[in-house]
Amino acid sequence: MEYSKLASGQLTVSATGIQQAVTLPFIPDFIEISNSTRAAAASGVTKAWWMTDMGQGASFVTTTGAGPADGTSFISASTGGGFSTFTANSPALGASIQISGITKASAAVVTTGSNHGLATGDVVILTGLFQSSTTGMPQISNMPFVITRTGATTFTIPWNTNQSNYTALSGSPTGAFVRKVLYPYLYFPGVNYISSISTGAVSTTITTTSNHNLVVGSQVDFFIPSQWGSVELTYPATGQPQSISAYVTAVNSAVSVTLALNSSAITAFNSNPTVAQALAGLTPPQMITIGDNNSGAVTNAYLPTTIGAATVGGAFQTNTRQGFIVGASVIGTASDVVYWRAYAHDMNT
Amino acid sequence: MAITTTSNLGPVILQSLAPAMLYTPTPMFIYNIPTDKVTMPRQGGTTMRFLRPRALTPPTVQLGNSGIEPPSQVPQRDIIDAQMAFFGTSCIINEQVILQDQDPVLAWVSDRLAVAMRQAEDIILRDYIMSAAAVVNCDGGSNGDNPTEISVSDVSLVSQILDSENAMKFMSGIEGDLKFGTAPVRSAYFMLANTAIESDLDALIGSGFKSVWDYPSNSSALPAEYGSILNFRILVSSQAASLANASMNGRTVYYNTVLGKQAVTHIDQDGYSMQLIYRDPYFSGALAQNATLAVKFAQSQAITQDSAIGLLASTNRS
Repeated sequence: MEYSKLASGQLTVSATGIQQAVTLPFIPDFIEISNSTRAAAASGVTKAWWMTDMGQGASFVTTTGAGPADGTSFISASTGGGFSTFTANSPALGASIQISGITKASAAVVTTGSNHGLATGDVVILTGLFQSSTTGMPQISNMPFVITRTGATTFTIPWNTNQSNYTALSGSPTGAFVRKVLYPYLYFPGVNYISSISTGAVSTTITTTSNHNLVVGSQVDFFIPSQWGSVELTYPATGQPQSISAYVTAVNSAVSVTLALNSSAITAFNSNPTVAQALAGLTPPQMITIGDNNSGAVTNAYLPTTIGAATVGGAFQTNTRQGFIVGASVIGTASDVVYWRAYAHDMNT
Repeated sequence: MAITTTSNLGPVILQSLAPAMLYTPTPMFIYNIPTDKVTMPRQGGTTMRFLRPRALTPPTVQLGNSGIEPPSQVPQRDIIDAQMAFFGTSCIINEQVILQDQDPVLAWVSDRLAVAMRQAEDIILRDYIMSAAAVVNCDGGSNGDNPTEISVSDVSLVSQILDSENAMKFMSGIEGDLKFGTAPVRSAYFMLANTAIESDLDALIGSGFKSVWDYPSNSSALPAEYGSILNFRILVSSQAASLANASMNGRTVYYNTVLGKQAVTHIDQDGYSMQLIYRDPYFSGALAQNATLAVKFAQSQAITQDSAIGLLASTNRS
């Protein structure tokens, strides 16, 4: 009986120079890619391969044509950007990256002191957002944000910091870091942090700080501390102790849903708490998933792709996974077609 | 006279194997303790569905003598779905190991696989709760971070929240006893906490925290129980929920799960809850060289009473 594992496939590069993951039912010890688009263009990385003994992030690389000179080169593990394997099974944050500044804007622009290596859709947590001991943006620390990459050292977060109680960060404040959430959405749908609430007599639109992973028919309720306004969603004005629940009637985007909820009488949502409130202790505003009323596999383009079987839309699902990552230095150009194979050998000496 | 010593006539075999293997340090598995248990039937599909009726409005207004009936109510229910997932791991053991090693390899590998499976069960529950339950940041401490270290006022707040949401407690009260320095522990909620906050809890002795050593009787105390505060019995584990560098000031945040009855339901699969599989080398190829030991299981989980659970987030005092 052989115990080795063999897998192959193809992927289309999502973004130039941005790493991309391939999910497998095993951790490979050998990975090889062939980029047919780069080969046809006679430009760039046409082939790359990796063995586990080379270390995470390493790669042999074959290039051709313009850009890197023709030939074969080696990317060391210490340099990085080659291949790596991953096991997404528990929450974890990546390395700290110094924040050099955050603007007052909607959406806020974060600038890092070095290349952050993040891609649009990555989730981050910001910490130490003090410009002085009493100014800055600590109100938005400890919340997950899905980012939009705008440059090698810049990205935006879906939060309006252009408000009176936020002070722009500059000069690389001590302790101001951004860390990538390495494996977001391991279990979904989960709790979501609210960045804005648009009220109405018939429907209410909730915007979240990261992907909500909800579907039409999902049922949610709220936990919104008083510093954020809209307390009636947590403690209804009628005095009933239980919070309000509502069903999703439309998924507007990865971070926005419309609920069948009359919110015309609730206090406006306040995304502008004070620094003093943050220093005194501030719990984020949250939308909690509590169920669904679907009978079939309702889905949308924003949901994570899991390796589990089909299920009812809105069901609690497990999204743990493993596989390998094609690094930024070998992935190629957006829309490139890349053929890959990955092995886990019986023997390694 | 020459004396023969072990220097010139030493033992032919220098080592003997101790009769018993040492224990393997293993975290306490605390997340499955307070869960409701449900079994997915065979041929039951991929998803377990729960139903929860909503409360009806109590008729507190008198009918009067008109004979006219008040409008009727429409009963409603909430639906919660949870998808099953499958897990497993294995060891491949060459027959020469079984043949030549002095220790009972198959026995202790089986034991470790079983523990790994139960540990996976607990970790999955922990991480699911971390992703799905509402977070309340401690603010009653004094370390200047957000969240602060845990304080009695923070525990009091979440107790109030759970009570106000009509969560049910676990009826596991330990009765009082006429012994000096002890007091009864009431029916309570559970708090599932990391061992890293034990010193923060000890700092609250005399302010509301009662150590398990001060219970009138430890006969009902759970092995993982560290003590109690107000309405909460506190179970601790070294693998309880935490996230490094996640607080306002970059400290580790501990997500202390507070929950009442039926807050979380653990679903296993009929006929698949835990399978320990041994395959003799006979099945491994022409030369029958390798035995395999494996465990596999199916599990799902759901927050079935969202009003009866929360994550009380805290950092350390120092």
